[in-house]
Amino acid sequence: MTTNKIEIKDLTVNYIENKKSFNALHDVSFGVGKGEFVSVIGASGCGKSTLLSVLEGLYAPAGGSVQIDGKELHGTGTERGVVFQHYSLFPWMTTRKNIEFGIKQSRHDVKRSERAKIADEFLTKVGLSGFGSKYPSQLSGGMQQRAAIARALAMNTEILLMDEPFSAIDPKNRVLLQELLLKLWEGDGLDERKTVVFVTHDIDEAILLSDKIVVLTAHPGTVNEVVNVPFDRPRRRDDLVKTEEYGKFRNKLLSLLYNDIAERIGGDEVVL
Amino acid sequence: MTIKKRYLRIAHLLFIALLLIQLLPDQSTKAVYTSYLVRFAVGVEVIVLAASAIIKKEESLALLVDIAGFVYVLLAVWSLATAKYNYLNDLLFPAPGKVIHQFVVDKDKIFINIKSSLRTTLKGFLLATAIAVPLGLFVGWSARLGSAATYITKFFSSIPPIVYIPYGIALLPTFKSVSVFVIFLATFWPVFAGTMSGVLGVDKKIIDSAKVLNVSKPEMLFRVILPASLQQIFLGCNQGLSVSFILLTSAEMIGAKDGMGYYVKYYSDFGDYTRTITGLLVIGFVVIGVTFLFNKLQKRLLRWKP
Repeated sequence: MTTNKIEIKDLTVNYIENKKSFNALHDVSFGVGKGEFVSVIGASGCGKSTLLSVLEGLYAPAGGSVQIDGKELHGTGTERGVVFQHYSLFPWMTTRKNIEFGIKQSRHDVKRSERAKIADEFLTKVGLSGFGSKYPSQLSGGMQQRAAIARALAMNTEILLMDEPFSAIDPKNRVLLQELLLKLWEGDGLDERKTVVFVTHDIDEAILLSDKIVVLTAHPGTVNEVVNVPFDRPRRRDDLVKTEEYGKFRNKLLSLLYNDIAERIGGDEVVL
Repeated sequence: MTIKKRYLRIAHLLFIALLLIQLLPDQSTKAVYTSYLVRFAVGVEVIVLAASAIIKKEESLALLVDIAGFVYVLLAVWSLATAKYNYLNDLLFPAPGKVIHQFVVDKDKIFINIKSSLRTTLKGFLLATAIAVPLGLFVGWSARLGSAATYITKFFSSIPPIVYIPYGIALLPTFKSVSVFVIFLATFWPVFAGTMSGVLGVDKKIIDSAKVLNVSKPEMLFRVILPASLQQIFLGCNQGLSVSFILLTSAEMIGAKDGMGYYVKYYSDFGDYTRTITGLLVIGFVVIGVTFLFNKLQKRLLRWKP
C-alpha cells in the first residue's frame, strides 16, 4: 500500500454557533498523494472551507484524524503554505517584506541577507518584478493574490493549501491566475511537485488544475465522490475545453453536485 | 500647479486689507505698536510667498495659505476692535501690535517656558504610551481580561486627572513630577482604551494569516496585532495629546516655577493682560505645531493604509 502525503480519516467537525453545535463535516475520508493536485468542490455551506481550516491547523476536529506523512496533525505548521481568499498578506508590509517574513518563518537555513533576493526571484516568477516595494493596498486584487502565491512558493513547503484563492478576482484575471498557477506547479519536475489541496466552487477551475476532485455534499458535509481527472498534462485550457470528453466530464461533475441538491429539496419537481 | 493656482489666493487680498486697515487713525489711549503688527504680517506674507514658489504639493500649500489667511483675518478684526475703534476695554484687551511687541521683548523667557512645558508633556506622554500600548495589546489579546478591562478603563477615564493633583502634591517629591504625573494619567487611559479597541477590532483573517505562518507570541503581539491596531492607537494618542495640553496649563498653574501655564498664571495675577494674552497665543501656536508634527508621524506610520 502506498502511503499518502495527507490522509484524512473519518473526519468530523462540529461548529458551535449561538450555543448550538452543528455538524459541519461528517465522516470525511480521502487521501492526497505526494505531488498530487486535489481540488475540493461543493456548494456553499458544504464545509469545504472548514475542511481546509482543519488542514491549516486553525480548527480542531471533533473526531477522526488527519495525518501528514503518517504523523498526526497538531495545530499550525510552516511545512504547509497557505493562500487565503483575502488578507494572505500583511497590509503594513511591502510585498517584498511579506515574502521575506514567510521565508524567515519556514526556512531557517536561509540567511537574512538572502531573503530579499529570493523574494525578488519569486516576485518575478509571478510577474510582479518591480512591485516589491509596493504595499498590498497599492496592488489590484489579482496582483495581491499573485504576491500571496509568490510567498507560499518562496516558503518552499511541500504542501500548499489554497482556500478559494481566485474567487474574489474578476473573470479575466482569474483565468490568468489559474494559468499561472498551472504553469508554476507543472513546471516543477514530477518528483518535486508540491502537494496541493485547492478549495473552489468553480468546476472549470477544478478540472483545469486538478489530478483528483473531491465532491462534497452539504448538511452535514460528506464526501459524495472522489473523481480522477482523465486529462493529460501539461494542460492548455484552449485545447482542453474544445474536446468532447471535457464536456462529458464537466456534466458528470455537475450532476454529482446538483443531483444531490435536487434530492434534498424535493427530487423530481426540481428542473435543472 | 499653474501660476494662477500658485499665487492668486484670497489670503493675499486679506493681507492687503490688513495693511490698509492699519492706515486708519488709532483711537486707543494706550500704546498700540502698529509697526510691530505690520512687520509681523509682512514677515508672514514673505514666508507664504516664498513657500508658494517652493512647495510642490498643492494640498500642503493650500494648508499654509489658509492658515495665513486665518491669521490675517484674526489680526484685522482684533486691531479694529482694539487700536482702531477701541470697542473693548484696552486694559483687558491689548492691541495685536502690543502683544507682538511683548513677545519680542519676552522671547528668551518664553522659549525657556515652552521648552519646559514641552519637556513635561513629552515625559508624561511618552511614559504613558510606553506602558499603555504594550499593556493594551496584552490585555486586549487575552480574551478573558479584555471585556472586564473595557469597563475598568471607562471607570478610570471618567475621572478628570486634575482631581489627582492634591494626591500628587502630597505623595510626589516635586511640583514638576506632579505635572508629569497628571499628563501621564491624561494620556494613559485614552491610549490604553484605544489600543484595546484596536486589538479587539483586528480582522480575524489577518490573525489566521499570522497563525498559519506559525508566529511566536511576541511576534503576534508586536509584528501583527500592533500594526493592525495602529490607527486606533493613534486615535487614543491624539485624544491623550489634546487633553494633555489642557491639563498642562492647569497643572503648571499650581506651584510650578516655569512653563507656559506658569507664565500665564503669574502675569494674570499681576493684572498684566498683555503678557497673559501673549502667553495664551503662544500656547495655541505650540499646540498647532505639535499637532502638525504628530499628524506627520501618523501619516508616515500608516502610509500602507489604503
